[in-house]
Amino acid sequence: MINPKRLSLPLSRESVQALKAGDLVELSGEIVMTAGIPTHHRIIDYLRQGKPLPIDMTGGSLLHLGGLNQEGPDGKASVAYLNPTTSTRFNRFMPEIIRGLDLRVTGGKGGLDAECAAAMRDTGCVYLSFLGGGCTLLSNALREVTTVAWPDLLIHYRLVKVRVEGLGPATVGIDAHGNSLYGVGEARAQERLPSILKQLEEDRAAANSLVQRDL
Amino acid sequence: MPVTYELLRSVSADLYNRSLRKIPGETMAVLRKLELSESNPVARNTLAVMQASAQAAESKGFFVCSDAGVPVYSVKIGSRVQFEGPVKQAFVDGFADLVATIQPPLLQHVTNPLTLERGHSGKDMPIVTYDVIDNADYVEITCSPKALGSGRWAALEIFSFPSLAEIERYIMDVVIKAGAQHCPPVVIGVGIGGTFDYAAKIAKEAILRPHGTTNPEPILADMEARLCKAVNATGFGPMGTGGDSTAMAVHINYASGHGFTPVAVCFNCWINRRRSARIYNSGVVEQFE
Repeated sequence: MINPKRLSLPLSRESVQALKAGDLVELSGEIVMTAGIPTHHRIIDYLRQGKPLPIDMTGGSLLHLGGLNQEGPDGKASVAYLNPTTSTRFNRFMPEIIRGLDLRVTGGKGGLDAECAAAMRDTGCVYLSFLGGGCTLLSNALREVTTVAWPDLLIHYRLVKVRVEGLGPATVGIDAHGNSLYGVGEARAQERLPSILKQLEEDRAAANSLVQRDL
Repeated sequence: MPVTYELLRSVSADLYNRSLRKIPGETMAVLRKLELSESNPVARNTLAVMQASAQAAESKGFFVCSDAGVPVYSVKIGSRVQFEGPVKQAFVDGFADLVATIQPPLLQHVTNPLTLERGHSGKDMPIVTYDVIDNADYVEITCSPKALGSGRWAALEIFSFPSLAEIERYIMDVVIKAGAQHCPPVVIGVGIGGTFDYAAKIAKEAILRPHGTTNPEPILADMEARLCKAVNATGFGPMGTGGDSTAMAVHINYASGHGFTPVAVCFNCWINRRRSARIYNSGVVEQFE
């Protein structure tokens, strides 16, 4: 396996700008995570009203990770596990959140759209792709829960700040210069589609099993 | 001796629990094979991390994915099976037992589509479909939990007397729309023909077919091979960050129908969760992947 670049949070704008799409990284430090659409609505409400968020993420990270946080008998919160969730369902919220919080790091799985990538270029922010189905490995990086905010929300929708050590590996899916592996991937697939269809046609013709007649 | 409510309740819960902690052995073998043939170094690394993640989950008895999805069961009842007690209720109660006891606890994923409220139970949950196996003296149960990640991208369209070219074009359109989203490399299940509901059912059955088995219908065996190659030529790659490995397999079922031909396409993410059991009239339980 490739050795990921070890990053200590919070990241400076310069160190974010040094990352390139396709780089592998691993995070240590404090991250903020949520997996909820209502959470994104609420963050935007707070930003628009100029209200301070219960967790200050300015210049920091907001990751689309779903996790189970729970309170122990001693009243201390812990996170039993975490894993990325599909980021694209937050496309409509993220440009305003990225700019409003001047984020350096966001992430999850599946990427974000071109408008989000433009916001990320403006603020100097990267999108990290974590492994879907990486629950056991990623949860090994959990060290401590700093804050659980908005306990009225569903457990995995809450805004949770945790300290992690070596969270990853994650792939830089979108860098701070507007390069998106997802945008490239979609364009590449569309561009290849005519030749893929042509190949399918040739393979169909070659298959002796082609028995359809004009009906 | 009949197949009892108690046995159905405990086995259905156990299948869901186990499906969350171990990916099928043959899926691991495909990931390894793809890692060896993959040309993109980041994709190769992602495929290696996937195997490491699955191994870690298995050895620790922990979840492979934090999203346990919702419980989905396919139940095939042998025509010689005798039941004792309610059958449908056994699945509902088995799920409730699991929610109450499982460690670590499950997140609340069961969603009311009208209010978007989420919990651990809901109307028609677990989702169970029933079928019959003539002359068998066992009930075969397969649990294949489904979550948003790959569940979101399934699609169905109805055509009139389509050519194979039109069917394959549609499948490619669905694949391209899903793009990087469904945690590739995926298994793709396709159902062609029958009716609206039946095409979706046989697509789901196709996805559960073990890897490496050959389609008994020669037209479909050829179609599966060329479509798998076509999907992998799109370049989306593992987790959608680029590479040659977007599909582990394409599995296709068909049914005869009228001139209107539904084509249903569905996806299983790389962890390809499933776990099955046969419960015999004798009370013997056999579990398998």
